[in-house]
Amino acid sequence: MKQAKWFVHPITVFILSTLALAISLFLYIYWYVQVSTGLKSVIDYYRLDARQFFEAQTWVVILILSLLVAVILTGILIIFIYNLKTLQLYRLQHTFINNFTHELKTPVTSLKLYLETFAKHELPREEQLKYIGFMLQDTERLSENINSILNLARIESRVYKGHFTQVDLMETIERFIAGNTHLFGNCKIRVENPSNEATVHPVIVPLFEMLLMNILTNAMKYNLSGKPSVDISLEPGEHALRIRFRDNGVGISKEDRKRIFRKFYRSQSDDLVTTGGSGIGLYLVQQIARLHRGKVIAESEGPGNGSVFTLILPRKTPKGGPKGGADESD
Amino acid sequence: MRATEKSRILIIEDDAHIAEGLKLNLSLQGHEAAIADSGTEGLRLWKEYNPDMIVLDIMLPGLDGLAVLRHIRLEDEKLPVLILSAKGEPDDRIKGFSYGVDDYLAKPFRLEEFLLRIDRLLTRASWNRDRLTATGQEEPGEMQNYTFGGNTIDFTTLTAVCRQGTIRLTEQETRLLRIFIANRGKPLSRKTLLEVGWGYSGVITTRTVDNFIVRLRKYFEDDPQNPLYFRSIRSVGYRFDHP
Repeated sequence: MKQAKWFVHPITVFILSTLALAISLFLYIYWYVQVSTGLKSVIDYYRLDARQFFEAQTWVVILILSLLVAVILTGILIIFIYNLKTLQLYRLQHTFINNFTHELKTPVTSLKLYLETFAKHELPREEQLKYIGFMLQDTERLSENINSILNLARIESRVYKGHFTQVDLMETIERFIAGNTHLFGNCKIRVENPSNEATVHPVIVPLFEMLLMNILTNAMKYNLSGKPSVDISLEPGEHALRIRFRDNGVGISKEDRKRIFRKFYRSQSDDLVTTGGSGIGLYLVQQIARLHRGKVIAESEGPGNGSVFTLILPRKTPKGGPKGGADESD
Repeated sequence: MRATEKSRILIIEDDAHIAEGLKLNLSLQGHEAAIADSGTEGLRLWKEYNPDMIVLDIMLPGLDGLAVLRHIRLEDEKLPVLILSAKGEPDDRIKGFSYGVDDYLAKPFRLEEFLLRIDRLLTRASWNRDRLTATGQEEPGEMQNYTFGGNTIDFTTLTAVCRQGTIRLTEQETRLLRIFIANRGKPLSRKTLLEVGWGYSGVITTRTVDNFIVRLRKYFEDDPQNPLYFRSIRSVGYRFDHP
């Protein structure tokens, strides 16, 4: 968006209108007082009964005027804040579109490159198969990107159709990792349950997997160590089941710990600006956690020291496990 | 079109599929290619692999493509570099060209166009080489020496004449001086200096930069406490002031 001229800048407009309002309040009262003193002298001159006209009205008038002005001022303030928020969202959306375009363009570029290569050259069958494999992965990437956008819309508007099923989360996580090894490449992922208690919990499985996918790929993407690793530990407790994801990545600065869950938010951290990404991953994660009545919190011992994401899923029944509360679909 | 001899091409691209596809096509075209999947790796291979040209992505993890380009341009003005980026807006292109790229192609691109552009860049680079070997001249265009205040820096011998007499400059000091001279009057952040000058990115402390500035001031400023040339700019970084 083009930089607006200074005199139509929202802050200038806000200050000027507040100022105008304050001056007008002052003038209202000033003139009112003047007029009533004039009237009073007239009353005195004709020796009329003053109480007939003034019954402590001055203060009532001033009070009402001040109240009205206060209401108008609050109105302006609300509009001003609202406007700022919209502007901010507009900017975020802009960066989102930029980032997301990149995420879409990369697989398309790869697909186009290989298709054109195939059209141009006759490759031996073995090589063909290798590159066809690449292309299939690219189409997968594309559809994942598209799905995340579509799902986001559905989850946000709470029309996501899925039901809760009782599953062993430990098993689900292990199965998910085993089924997606191609995504995690050289990343070492360990899953453990030190307490050995049951980790059965009602979740919407496809959404839970999406949450895993986002947290794990983030741990790899925001990692400069060369040997990325994630330790997942499940901690069933009395009131909640906690799942901790500890990585050895770049960590999160103090200011970013909450902000990273905002929609379209991208960390301004210097060395990562160029890492691709759309800014909806963690927002999606938080929304999924909310849908499960839980939440996700991020912790980090500062930049460079890795980060810990903890998913907290509250247990419905305080004792005896959640077995009874199955299939409570939204 | 002339038949190009086997050239070495370095591909700096973080998407493994695209990099592999480019390498495949370049080798089918009779070239040799190497892949670097990050900016830092790219700079390492630029030194070790000694390529005839570079295909460069902009959005790279860690050190980004433009920083890589600027770092290379400090030492090598003539190496053909083609940027291949998903950022194809005119502003992005202008930025690329202002840092000294030779050609710019936006993703997704046509394979044929890419290959022809590569051919053209290589051909022109070889003309340049031919002409230089024919005349036996020194390479023109490179900065030989630079004078400011009472100081003269000789970039061919890595020495400087300053208030301490004649001193030898380290490679790192020379590189930093080149950045400052190339960006006279413009503020440079510590981060830019670190990325372009050292080819670093990430968590390495920016104090390194400050220490070098202290040293440069000691060499070249009449009063290192009140510098005239290597000026600090609060909350930004440094600026080299010399018309």
